[in-house]
Amino acid sequence: MKAPTALRPAATIIAGALLLATLPLFLNDYWVHIATLAGTYWVLVSGLDLVVGYAGMLAVGYGGMLAVGAYTASVLAAKAGLDPLLALACCTVTGVIAGIIVGIPGLRLTSFYFAMATLGFAIIVTQVALAWGSLTGGGIGLAAPAYADPFASTGGFYCLVLIIDALATWLVWNIASGNPGRALIAVRDADVAAEAVGVPIARLKLSVFALSGALGSVAGGLFATAQSYITPDAFTLDLSVLFFIAVLIGGRGRIVGPMIGTGLLTLLPEIAAPLVAWSAFVYACLLLVVVLLAPGGIAELLERLRRAPPPIDRMAGPEPEAMSAALVSAPRAAGQLALAEVSRAFGGVRALDGISLTLAPGTVHGLIGPNGSGKTTALNILSGFYAVHSGRIRLGEADITRTSVQARAALGIARTFQTPRILGEASVIENVMLGAWRHAAASFGEVALGLPRFYRDERALRAQAMAALATVGLAAWANARADRLQHSEQRFLEIARALAMRPGFVLLDEPAAGLSAAEIENLGAIIAEMRRLGLGVLLVEHHADFVFRISDQVTVLATGRVLAAGTPAEIRAHREVVHAYLGA
Amino acid sequence: MIWASILVAGIATGAVYAMIGLAYNVMYSTSKVMSFTAGMLGMLGSVFGALFIGVLHWPVAAGFVATLAVGGIFGWITERLSVRPVLRNIDKHLYVLSTLALALMVQQLAAIEWGTEPRPFPTLFGIGHDLTSEQYWLPVIACIIAAAALEWFYRGTLAGRAFLAISEDARAALALGIPERRMRVLSYVLSGVVGAFAGFVGGELLLAFFANGMMLTFYGFIPVAIGGLGSNRGALVGGLVLGLIQQAANYWFGGDMVPVVAFAVFIAILLAMPRGLFGAAAQRRV
Amino acid sequence: MPISAPEPAKRETLLVARGIVAGYGKLSVLEGVDIEVRAGEAVALLGPNGAGKSTLLSALSGIIAKSAGSVHFAGADVTRATPQQAVRAGLVHVLEGHHVFGPLSVHDNLLLAAFNAPPGERAARIEEAYEAFPEMAERRHLRASALSGGQQQMLVVAQGIVRRPRLLMLDEPSAGLSPVLVDRVLAVAAAMRARGVSILLVEQLVEKALGLADRVYVLARGRMALVSESAAGLAPAAIERAYLGGEALAGVQP
Repeated sequence: MKAPTALRPAATIIAGALLLATLPLFLNDYWVHIATLAGTYWVLVSGLDLVVGYAGMLAVGYGGMLAVGAYTASVLAAKAGLDPLLALACCTVTGVIAGIIVGIPGLRLTSFYFAMATLGFAIIVTQVALAWGSLTGGGIGLAAPAYADPFASTGGFYCLVLIIDALATWLVWNIASGNPGRALIAVRDADVAAEAVGVPIARLKLSVFALSGALGSVAGGLFATAQSYITPDAFTLDLSVLFFIAVLIGGRGRIVGPMIGTGLLTLLPEIAAPLVAWSAFVYACLLLVVVLLAPGGIAELLERLRRAPPPIDRMAGPEPEAMSAALVSAPRAAGQLALAEVSRAFGGVRALDGISLTLAPGTVHGLIGPNGSGKTTALNILSGFYAVHSGRIRLGEADITRTSVQARAALGIARTFQTPRILGEASVIENVMLGAWRHAAASFGEVALGLPRFYRDERALRAQAMAALATVGLAAWANARADRLQHSEQRFLEIARALAMRPGFVLLDEPAAGLSAAEIENLGAIIAEMRRLGLGVLLVEHHADFVFRISDQVTVLATGRVLAAGTPAEIRAHREVVHAYLGA
Repeated sequence: MIWASILVAGIATGAVYAMIGLAYNVMYSTSKVMSFTAGMLGMLGSVFGALFIGVLHWPVAAGFVATLAVGGIFGWITERLSVRPVLRNIDKHLYVLSTLALALMVQQLAAIEWGTEPRPFPTLFGIGHDLTSEQYWLPVIACIIAAAALEWFYRGTLAGRAFLAISEDARAALALGIPERRMRVLSYVLSGVVGAFAGFVGGELLLAFFANGMMLTFYGFIPVAIGGLGSNRGALVGGLVLGLIQQAANYWFGGDMVPVVAFAVFIAILLAMPRGLFGAAAQRRV
Repeated sequence: MPISAPEPAKRETLLVARGIVAGYGKLSVLEGVDIEVRAGEAVALLGPNGAGKSTLLSALSGIIAKSAGSVHFAGADVTRATPQQAVRAGLVHVLEGHHVFGPLSVHDNLLLAAFNAPPGERAARIEEAYEAFPEMAERRHLRASALSGGQQQMLVVAQGIVRRPRLLMLDEPSAGLSPVLVDRVLAVAAAMRARGVSILLVEQLVEKALGLADRVYVLARGRMALVSESAAGLAPAAIERAYLGGEALAGVQP
């Protein structure tokens, strides 16, 4: 990937905006109306892109948001006599409420269930509109607000839509390219990784649902005026599906793709007149084709064409000396991280049975044992993914037995996973910046509005992430897609992400699995540097030789109990350990 | 009299929903896929039943068998087109989209070819009147037959046990030499037959109407959510509960509020007990 | 089974796998593994955790795909065979970790293992399994989920018998079993070998495995670290080094 000059995208955007703004000059009113519709839809789709494309939530029923906004604007203008622009502004309020109503089930429900719930939401909104005739006119409908000059004419209204389009795109772009966007992709592709770096998943999702609800509702307000008269019939399932498909055809996790998708889908029935009756069928066909042939959408197809071949010398040597820059400040000496008499069972099987273990800053603690001996369970308990059934977990003086995963991340406990949990469709550096999530100062709102703190955060996080990548030897890959890395490189990427958290403790879950001999050497050098800088490292590993070589302390587990603990030399001499391994 | 009609109509519609729920479960058993096409099967059952018997004037038996065959074929197409290609990465949930796409395609085809207005379903037997008319008792009897037949299939045939085995542990079933893919195709065909059966017997009650597809997809899933995914017993209980709640809501709040009440029940159930009444336990994440 | 005329030197080989590369997604666990099993012999496949033993068995039985390599069984190429075809040819894989079908009865569990048997033969095959494990016959109507861990392990081995193997691949049959039960299960394996069935045994209990096996392979980190033509003459130190170090030691194919 080449670094594009800053001018080119800016020039493209300005040229595109000018072209769009001057459309009314050379199109007749009908086509301006179609363009207005497309623009209206984009206001909704831009927000939906965050929900579907970034967060990966299958929200099918966003036609409901359009209805909420259309009725808000029309009822307030017609019944309360509000100025149409003010009524449009009020749409954001009802939209936020509707977004949160859809979002709350979205915190618990997954995939099909959530898709079903959103479809239900779309049905409910129109049914309520039908039933609540005194307010909405029921099946007879309601006149939409008409704007005063300069937005009264077809062209004028089109320009209003364009202004709101620009605003929506700006908000969504900021969210998508900043910290929230990376966290959303993590929630979608590797939710446990998002949790492990401390992303407050529920709050983030609700913020995004609120924003997308507001945008959808504003789109509804505009849609009402574009249609000039609304009835519940206007909000068909087809519309919901159109919005949803626009995001998917465009390509999830991107902005330009869904924008093109929205335009195409709005135009499709117009340019092929016989298709009008068939348009819903064609949308559905397109959805199937996209899902089966190009799940990443148009944007992914384009990107595949642009891909640079991988460097021949894939992985440069690591530069452990860069680690202190990656950690920014010296790790806090938070005291020791300790398990005391911890037990945990799974369905009657005791995975851990009274384990005690201490991890001191500035040491490497190896944890070995046969399959099913409880190594990974111990790591999951330390990082907070499993609750203990008895026993305590302490960090220094503090009892963190009941502390959540996210809160433990904030206390400086970082981890990697046995199977690397990476964001395959994001770039390598974005994966690492995700780790630094907690060190950004800007709030969701500040990011959306692009306030200065957002840019300062981005610069600082990027610099820190580059240092972390240099540490593990992946700096040359910073801008490549993470799923192009080999499995072993993904393990190093996870370590870089853990470093970006600026942790006091790093828990490594089988970091050497699948690594070549040379890569294991590099891993050893990185771990040694962690120790030198005062980090406490827990090393869960099958590769006993490696553990003995680099650990200060080794604990051997067997069937959930501590079989032996001591220095590597003591453990090597321990006959029982050899027996546990060989089962004799 | 009010209570009697709520009860009779509720049980009848509930029986149709329960059968769609069974269709969901049969597909789920071998593939762990919840398919948006479940309700379309019911819609196809009504539309093709009305076409064969009402329009083409075939004998009832021939029309019935042909309708079930259409359901079976559509089940087969579902597996081939929108399930098998995305099954490899089931954790990406692409099946939600691919089955939704296929469902919408079928619904739209029905709207274009059959028309967008509800059309009557022919009277099959003409036995009974008012609350004892066949539109009320036929779905109930059919639901009992379908549930009993499925129970016999699961417990009494080797293929049925193979379904259960695949559902319980697909890898172990594969290691035993059970042809997982063939069993999956079979389950989709079977589910197609069950779904079309539901639409056929529910035709007089619901009419032959393209929009019934999405409606049944939604209302057929609620019993599954109530009863627990994969549990046929749960689907029967859930179907009855939903049918009765709907009819009661229809009486007290009016027809427009029926979907609102059903939706509220759906969300409340999912949030209160995500696994349903008879559902399986959750899996570990890390 | 069509058997092409084998080379004289290989007359007795039943299973020949060459250069097997396999794994899960991007992670390749096996990086070019060769293994042979001859008719009527018992082979132990040892190695530390994560070495790829289970992956190798799954690759041989067709449960997971191989990205390279070939497998010949009884003279036929089964590299691309489905698990069903493998079972029909007599290549039977008993998974580790007692994978029984909990809601089904013991008898139904065995009946499913007879899925590929001619219908008339199913009852006889299940009787064979009951003879080997009488406690399964006593519990035939019990749900498999109601069995103890050891009984579930018996059940999966019994499922192996029902499939009537020519080569029985047992993956950690001792896991979670009491020593008495381990001996029972291994005795059944020995009895099957006595009737001419080849055994490929993955086992954590090295000494037990060596007691049964004619030959030994040690797999470490996706490659064969040690191949021994004689289980009896194998120095424990050599295995230990292959386990803990993972470097290749002896290891030339015959």
